[in-house]
Amino acid sequence: MNYKITHTTTYNYTDSVSLSHHLLRLTPRELLHQRCLHHDVRIDPEPAVSQRDFDYFGNAVTFLTLEGPHKKLVVKSESHVALAPHLIPAPAETPFWERVRDSSRGQQIGHSLEACEFVFDSPLASASANFAEYAAPSFPRNTPILIAALDLTKRIHVDFKFDPKATTLATPLEEVFKNRRGVCQDFAQFQIACFRSLGLPARYVSGYLETDPPPGKQRFVGTDASHAWVSFYCHGIGWIDVDPTNNVMPAMRHIAIAFGRDYEDVSPVRGVILGAGEHTLKVAVDVAALEEPERPRPNRSA
Amino acid sequence: MVAEKLRDSPTSETVAPSAKIFGGYRTDPGVYDESALGPGNPRPHWRKFISSFEKLGREELAVRWENGRRIIREHGVTYNVYGDPQGMNRPWELDMVPLLIPPDEWRFLETGLTQRAKLFNLILADLYGPQRLLRDGLIPPALVFANPGFLRPCHGLRVPGEIYLHLHAVDLARSPDGQWWVLGDRTQSPSGSGYALENRIVLSRILPDEFRDSQVQRLASFFRIQRDALSQLATGRSNNPNIVLLTPGPHNETYFEHAYLARYLGFTLVEGGDLTVRDCRVFLKTLEGLQPVDVILRRVDDGFCDPLALRSDSFLGVPGLVEATHAGNVSIANALGSGMIESPAFLAFLPGLCRHILGEELKLPSVATWWCGQATEHQYVVDHLDTIVVKSGIATQARPPSFGARLNPLEKETLIAALRARPFDFVGQEQVALSVAPVWWNDQLEPRRISLRAYVAAHGDSYSVMPGGLTRVSPAAGDPIVSMQSGGGSKDTWVLSSGPVAPVSLLTASGQPVSVSRAAAELPSRVADNLFWLGRYVERLENRMRVLRCVIARMADEATSETASELAEMVQLLVRLDILPKRFAGRVRATELQQEILALVYNLQRAGSVRELGLRIRHIISVVRDRFSLDTWSILNQLQSDSRTRPGRIPLANALSLINTLIVDLAAFSGMEMENMTRGHGWRFLDFGRRLERGTNLINILSGTVPPKATSPNLLLEPLLEIADSSMTYRRRYLAQAQLPSVLELLVIDQGNPRSLAFQLSALADHADHLPQYGDAGVENSEQRRLRELTARLAQFNIAELASLNAREQKETLRQWLAEWSTGLSAVSNDLTHHYFSLTIARVS
Repeated sequence: MNYKITHTTTYNYTDSVSLSHHLLRLTPRELLHQRCLHHDVRIDPEPAVSQRDFDYFGNAVTFLTLEGPHKKLVVKSESHVALAPHLIPAPAETPFWERVRDSSRGQQIGHSLEACEFVFDSPLASASANFAEYAAPSFPRNTPILIAALDLTKRIHVDFKFDPKATTLATPLEEVFKNRRGVCQDFAQFQIACFRSLGLPARYVSGYLETDPPPGKQRFVGTDASHAWVSFYCHGIGWIDVDPTNNVMPAMRHIAIAFGRDYEDVSPVRGVILGAGEHTLKVAVDVAALEEPERPRPNRSA
Repeated sequence: MVAEKLRDSPTSETVAPSAKIFGGYRTDPGVYDESALGPGNPRPHWRKFISSFEKLGREELAVRWENGRRIIREHGVTYNVYGDPQGMNRPWELDMVPLLIPPDEWRFLETGLTQRAKLFNLILADLYGPQRLLRDGLIPPALVFANPGFLRPCHGLRVPGEIYLHLHAVDLARSPDGQWWVLGDRTQSPSGSGYALENRIVLSRILPDEFRDSQVQRLASFFRIQRDALSQLATGRSNNPNIVLLTPGPHNETYFEHAYLARYLGFTLVEGGDLTVRDCRVFLKTLEGLQPVDVILRRVDDGFCDPLALRSDSFLGVPGLVEATHAGNVSIANALGSGMIESPAFLAFLPGLCRHILGEELKLPSVATWWCGQATEHQYVVDHLDTIVVKSGIATQARPPSFGARLNPLEKETLIAALRARPFDFVGQEQVALSVAPVWWNDQLEPRRISLRAYVAAHGDSYSVMPGGLTRVSPAAGDPIVSMQSGGGSKDTWVLSSGPVAPVSLLTASGQPVSVSRAAAELPSRVADNLFWLGRYVERLENRMRVLRCVIARMADEATSETASELAEMVQLLVRLDILPKRFAGRVRATELQQEILALVYNLQRAGSVRELGLRIRHIISVVRDRFSLDTWSILNQLQSDSRTRPGRIPLANALSLINTLIVDLAAFSGMEMENMTRGHGWRFLDFGRRLERGTNLINILSGTVPPKATSPNLLLEPLLEIADSSMTYRRRYLAQAQLPSVLELLVIDQGNPRSLAFQLSALADHADHLPQYGDAGVENSEQRRLRELTARLAQFNIAELASLNAREQKETLRQWLAEWSTGLSAVSNDLTHHYFSLTIARVS
């Protein structure tokens, strides 16, 4: 399955900005089941500096400097991605979750150093006794980890209401938990915090999701937003993805851009400007399948 | 009093008077005393010092002590205490007795400290590079991955010469058996070396003979090493490197030290907003444009250094700094991310790491530390809670230490539960019984607990140790805790040498650096802005005080009819100038007026009061303190302490004498500025502010002196001359009662009167010609143009013509002139602000 993704970020400034720096994480990752066939980013106005590199987590990152007064910045990223089917393990055959926990924090870490990175607190997804208590019913003793994880995913999907007005980037996780409302980013970080509260490594995935139009309507271009889901670690298997917003295991419609401990590590566009005025931000994402097979329709994310 | 106390001392009857000072000094058994083996029995390396100290005698010591405190006050040595509104700029506490360390013992410490700095540097190089120590299991992953100080964006950053640690501070303590232990490390941006230097300067001045005879090793060479090493970081980029010291600003607890070190080392003191990143290079925003920066000595914690790549909530950093470092265009000391290794949990793994990395044993042991992320160690801590301190092991700021022995059963249970929930967050540490040293307190010596902060600086491919350090002292005799934040004091540390010591110093006797490599042109815009406002406020304060003095003098006088009517007119003038509220336009009672006038002197909450202006000046000065000599500092400190007096029982008389004192203080400051300040851009901006303010004030007062309701004779002319400090000149020249035309001649058009408008305009025009040019070369800028026009208009101001008009016409004409000058000056001020200071605000989108 091939997709063409257009992701446009527009900043409008009320006052002229004399200097701005941005970090972009917009390039789809190369994965076993995902290949990036084409990617380019167009920036208006022309940046003085544009440096490509990889960050600590292996995500492609571009550093931009815009010098000289500007009142608007448009970052338009275009990607072609080919997805292949995931190899998803049979849930009942995955190891007990306690085994994963015990080998993630101990002294002997060997090859799973990569997982250790994601078992500890991060600024936006920290463990807590409350989260451990919430997650506990999904994790009875000696339960295979994927069975437990899918149950937790489903419970979050049922218990939490999708509500773009309920939260902002600054809403603490405890409040998301209390109000049981939020968007995909909140749900992903909440689930990550649940995993970590049980001593399990989990990471944040930022990406895109193809969403179908309502029956009988045409696809709207540019109405989609970027998406976020969760990846947890399982020894012997590797990272397994779950999407608490849609209660699915990502496959064939989820396009991954970046991995990190939480949103802070992977925000698609982050910047600091020098100038006195206000700014507005507009994001438009369009994910178009290049062939159109029939499939059940997941919820739109945010 | 002193003699009374001495009689209580059992030895005072039997020993010679000269020995009494040390003879009465006692330490509890079981405690290691740095100075003595037992009562009256000094350690060999203290004998010479003690006998010399005792020879001085109590009286002389008291004089020396007072002298030392005066130097500290005058130098403005302060230490800010957080969370205490009174704690800003608390004077530095220095004890008169140094800590003495014998040469052989120091050589041992030196070897151990050098090894430790090397080891720490190599650990950092691995963690920010290949992370083999993690893969090989020598460092548990939690110490890195759960460490908020591990800055992932800084992983793989270019670090010249693989030097992460340029300055490493180690806190040392001595246990009862005489062994030195490491209590902890500072690898982020270690503080205190500047205080150590200041302590040395003070002590070597108040105890010059003892200092010379003890053959104390000098500190200057250490700072030279540090300076040279930092210069070398720019090798390949610049032969004349531009090094800046990045400070979080005047609210930081050790801001004094930042300014002091910047001045001593000859680096430019900057805040984050003074720097900008363009084309992946760091630049200093100066009045003459952007100057490339090669090396940043940072006193800002690394997480706050770049709001783009690191903490987005930081207002202290420089957006893009990480990227500039990555591009190899700037070097930062200590390297970004080096703070992570301050976590006490590392202490538990150092012996193994030292063997693995350096192939040798760790020479200086750390205080016994158990990291609870390991099951056995966790259990040990729980089992021995009564003798152990439990601390945050990784995130150092997370929680205050718990002393097991001081907890009640419930608190103990809570602590054990916290340990069980997140064991890897904690370490247990043995409590070290610190050694004591004699402290001069209430005219006698008493033992206090001490710890020693030692400094190690990168030097080529190895490290050099400062021969000395900052000895910190517990606040009370029985208090086992040593901390500057909780109110302890400090000592100079004398490392004794076995032979004579050659005098080396970067300082001359007056405390100024011999050679300052800072280019005079590099005046950050923020500093220029502050100097401009300093000039304005100093002048505003002087003007305000002269006005008030005029009023108070007439209130306190015996009420002759003449002064009474002058006073009434003055009050109306103050109402017109918006200094007094409108209600004073009518009749008011004398007591009410007195209250109001006193408020204008003493009330800190009242905008424009003497004390409020004094506070503003103090605030501005604290931001630019590195720009003034120590002598100027003494004057400004004098001004501060003078302005803190209270009204007292004869309030008007006291207010008058306060104002007189402060006017003299201000005159001393202006004198220093005129005679001692280099005529660079800094001075120009300061004086620009002063002249602009003086001109504006004069115009305002003149406008107020021409009242809507004409009185004849004008009773305000005499006070006006007083305020403008021109009465004497007037008398000498005119020998007559003040007349408006001659007053105007003296105050407006007389080029020779430093208080006249003409004088201010000509000074301003000269400054405008010499400020850095921002426009096209050779083209007059708008400040120059406006000032030229104002001067030309002033030449047309014809007093004879004015005198020939009738009273109403005279007033109207004068009003028009005054309005024109006032508009002109405020336009100049706006232009200047717009061209040189217009600050931009960094914001995270």
